[in-house]
Amino acid sequence: MAYGDSPNRLPASSGRRRFLRDAGVVLAAAGGGGFKSMAATQMQPFGNGERELVAYPQKRPLLRITTRPPHLETPFSVFNEDVITANDAFFVRYHLANIPLAVDLATYRLRVRGKVGSELSLSMAQLRALAPPVEIVAVNQCSGNSRGFSSPRVFGAQLGNGSMGNARWTGIPLRAVLSKAGVAAGAKQVTFRGLDAPVLPSTSAFVKALDVDVATAPDVLLAWGMNGKELPFLNGYPLKLIVPGYFGTYWVKHLSEITVIDEPFTGHDAWFMTTGYRLPDNECGCIAPGTTAPKTRPITNLKVRSFVTSLANNAVVKVGRPTMVKGIAFDGGSGIKKVEASIDGGRTWRESTLGANLGRYSFREWTVSITPEEPGPFGLLARATAVSGETQPGEATWNPAGYARNVIESLNIVAA
Amino acid sequence: MAGKIACILTCAAALGAASSHSREIQLPTETTALRASTLPGYRIAAQKCSICHSADYITLQPPGMSLKQWTAELVKMQHAYGAPIDDEDIKPLAIYFTLTYGDAGTVSDADRLLPGPEPSVAGAPIDVQALLAKNACLSCHALDAKLIGPSYHDVAAKYRGNAEAPTMVGGSIRAGGANKWGPVPMPAFPNLTPLELQVLAAFVLNQP
Repeated sequence: MAYGDSPNRLPASSGRRRFLRDAGVVLAAAGGGGFKSMAATQMQPFGNGERELVAYPQKRPLLRITTRPPHLETPFSVFNEDVITANDAFFVRYHLANIPLAVDLATYRLRVRGKVGSELSLSMAQLRALAPPVEIVAVNQCSGNSRGFSSPRVFGAQLGNGSMGNARWTGIPLRAVLSKAGVAAGAKQVTFRGLDAPVLPSTSAFVKALDVDVATAPDVLLAWGMNGKELPFLNGYPLKLIVPGYFGTYWVKHLSEITVIDEPFTGHDAWFMTTGYRLPDNECGCIAPGTTAPKTRPITNLKVRSFVTSLANNAVVKVGRPTMVKGIAFDGGSGIKKVEASIDGGRTWRESTLGANLGRYSFREWTVSITPEEPGPFGLLARATAVSGETQPGEATWNPAGYARNVIESLNIVAA
Repeated sequence: MAGKIACILTCAAALGAASSHSREIQLPTETTALRASTLPGYRIAAQKCSICHSADYITLQPPGMSLKQWTAELVKMQHAYGAPIDDEDIKPLAIYFTLTYGDAGTVSDADRLLPGPEPSVAGAPIDVQALLAKNACLSCHALDAKLIGPSYHDVAAKYRGNAEAPTMVGGSIRAGGANKWGPVPMPAFPNLTPLELQVLAAFVLNQP
């Protein structure tokens, strides 16, 4: 079968598409097709950091990283709006430009194949009927979130801190589907493929693999709902793999094919596991800049992070008066134990008050009062500690792909 | 009969709730472009890189990357991502990217003057198969099957009986295009000579 020639996808030039345009829902970008990109831009605080704000279908204007395939980042101010990231502000990331532009549930099927008792081909209605729906609040963060801050800089999508989001996902446990198919004894991994495909056959497809014990964990979902609404198209309509605690690279969009395998995942279409999305295989996942890791491993769990959301860089606060500072923190699934703030370069730390607990995979809101006693500039640091005991390093580590940054963030604030 | 019943059920469902059955999006128009240059690497980049991704994948990269770093990135594109660039494309591409978007100081004077590809000699025979291979045409097109782009058979059928066809098809190859045949745009091939365009257009239009 030619790449992109999936029954799930509608050829853009077909009569089927014309039918859909009349009968279905066309989700056009604000301003309609062919509009000129908006003049509004935002500057990221690193070289060559100017980004256009562009509205895509079902999205408010977001920072455009790349056009084809679309890659959109959430402006950081969004994270101060709510601990849940709005659907229309949630970041968008594709790897390969041959992306689906239309999905019809009448023909869409999720296929389950490989080392299973019986192969499945499920419509969305059949999938939903397999198990009672469950909800989980979980952070989806790009492996390369904050890559633009890598020092020295590295090639790749030059992201600020906004390639993450926290949503309430609705779906059924993946293991309900796997159990319906019957995972064969000796199965090792489960691979996931969506409707997005490479332009050229010489490029690897985007296929991700999870070990069977990870794939069958109760929190791993096949989700159709996001914050109580249908998944936005660009976030993976109609079905997205949710792997709470894992980096976004595993959260396969437009999920169409699940394959159970009993040997390591290798070959032409395994590139995004065997070569891409890997970290140096040591505790920090880091090496000295310019060196090569002797051994690498696939990136997996999120590292603990915290951000101030209520103040932007170079904000002015009152000297000698308390200012309430708000922020968010998250980790790879143990939950947040505490978040502390410092206004004296990390000499002393003040523990914040944690907000409502939406679950161990969610952003955790925190607030702390600070009172700068002297006028002038100061650094505002935020440091989170996870229930697991993991905390943030004081100095940034480095890896060749710029993944998994989690250094203690520091904002320049001015007391006046 | 069974098929008919199934159709009645699904069609009724589709009619009853069309909005729950199909979703379609239209993406904003691609506006980014590489900075034009007389360097030979510019034309290779405009033509080959844009097969798989928009120009902002390149223009977005950090400033100050060296010729060595750009070269390594191109080798990664060629080998890791299967980009349709030849070994001899790497050097001119790296020089163009480094001079335009990176640390120009890492490019030697000799490299700055690297000549472009030999212009076709007037009267020399043109090997259409070599042209197709050199320009990665067959990565996206097949003679008689739709891949990313239309088959040459379908293009020929569309223009059959049209006296302007050679000019139109040659122009489409040179300028590229979008939204005529599918969602993935065709890059421009500005480095092809008029004669090469004529030969390629004739090859396409002569498909049965």
